[in-house]
Amino acid sequence: MKWKPDWGLRGRMVLTMFLLFALYLVFVGVLFRTNSVVFLPLMGAFVLVQFLFSDRLALYSMGAKEVSAEEYPELHATVSRLSQQADLPKPTVAVADSRVPNAFAAGRSQKSATVCVTTELLRTLDRDELEGVLAHELAHVKNRDVMVMTIASFLSTVAFMIVRMGFWFGGGGRNRQGGGIIVAIVASLVVWIVSFLLIRALSRYREFAADRGGALITGQPSALASALLTIDGRMDRVPKEDLREQAEMNAFFILPAKGNAITKLFSTHPSTEKRVEKLRDLEREMETR
Amino acid sequence: MGIFDTIRAVLGTSAEADATRDADPEDLFGMSTAYVTMEADLGYESVDAAALCFSGVDSTDFSETVADVEAILGAGEEETGTTFDVREDSHGWEWVVLRDDDPEDLVTSIHFAADEFGERGYGSRLLAAVFGFEADGDRAYWIYSFRRGAYYPFAPRRGKERANDVEFKLQSVLDGELDVEDDESYWYPMWPDTAGGHPWE
Repeated sequence: MKWKPDWGLRGRMVLTMFLLFALYLVFVGVLFRTNSVVFLPLMGAFVLVQFLFSDRLALYSMGAKEVSAEEYPELHATVSRLSQQADLPKPTVAVADSRVPNAFAAGRSQKSATVCVTTELLRTLDRDELEGVLAHELAHVKNRDVMVMTIASFLSTVAFMIVRMGFWFGGGGRNRQGGGIIVAIVASLVVWIVSFLLIRALSRYREFAADRGGALITGQPSALASALLTIDGRMDRVPKEDLREQAEMNAFFILPAKGNAITKLFSTHPSTEKRVEKLRDLEREMETR
Repeated sequence: MGIFDTIRAVLGTSAEADATRDADPEDLFGMSTAYVTMEADLGYESVDAAALCFSGVDSTDFSETVADVEAILGAGEEETGTTFDVREDSHGWEWVVLRDDDPEDLVTSIHFAADEFGERGYGSRLLAAVFGFEADGDRAYWIYSFRRGAYYPFAPRRGKERANDVEFKLQSVLDGELDVEDDESYWYPMWPDTAGGHPWE
């Protein structure tokens, strides 16, 4: 099965970016009207620093360190092979000592990317599942996701800073700019909330796109799905007790809590169920061609 | 588990009560095409055996029903060559085990047996119909639960482990063709009595 651009996902990504951009223009307009534009270059510098050091920052915050091929030969071999398959330069491989099974990709470009996994992830997943997860992270690198997100976050970071600083500066309330500052704060607050929600949406599309991309790299959607279920603990929902034992008694079942609209709005990752469902569709597409 | 789930569980309105729908022996015919898909798309071949699991009743009428099922299958054996035997497992459940290298005949025979139990009013005694597959020495089963009226995959591995990824793959490929149980918390294993055996062995 060949790589096909997923226009549904792309369209939504583009639309989200477009909305963010429109929001940004309105925001700058409001800042000009209220003479609060001085904040912009300051924030720009801040975000630029963040952008330049985002990967190191992410690795540092996870307590991850780069590992050599001698320390983790299998992990390196897998990453090499998958990078080749994805037509990417081999990223730096890092491992974080953590009890939470997780993985992430960081980096500004395809050339300077880092893929990081936690020790718990290596412990809980089998080889195929790990491959699925690594391919998902490489798909993020291939899609240049991190950059898109950084740009998208720029605006909400600016707005957030203005809200904070505005309260700080506007706290006196004795200056003639007082009214303007309050308008700027309110505008910033609105912008921050709206952009936050848009970024959340964009972030979810990214995950779907990376799921799809990763599955196309390995050719095994079910490996990633199985990994997701393992990480999510839903594998634990597959019962251990024999059907014949169970039929003898009335067992109680723990039903998964169903997320409501609000939690959906605020979550960065789509629900495991949704992702698994899409991977299933993909699996079927692949199997029945 | 939220407070409402707890209340629901205590009141007995939990998932146990809301079986997807009533079992229907006609569902078993879905396996005929599933055998083809399993081989063509996934490389899983039939192990040339399938079995029906039921719990016995200590009554003359039930014994007669089992005898009638055996008579029907015995008559079928002459036509299709499907051999059968009835046995009890260590859990105290009974099995009708059928063997034939033609999956079509296996499905038909299982349906005959299940239908006869149902006709005689013992449909509720049926637990599961189990269809066996093999690829490169790895076993996989489709289990039809009469309690849920749905199929689910079961891929046992050595040491009472399950290959969840295989089960997931089977689900994603066969979903739609079979009525697959979408709540994994009902995918109960059926471990064999003998190591390396089938669930009915």
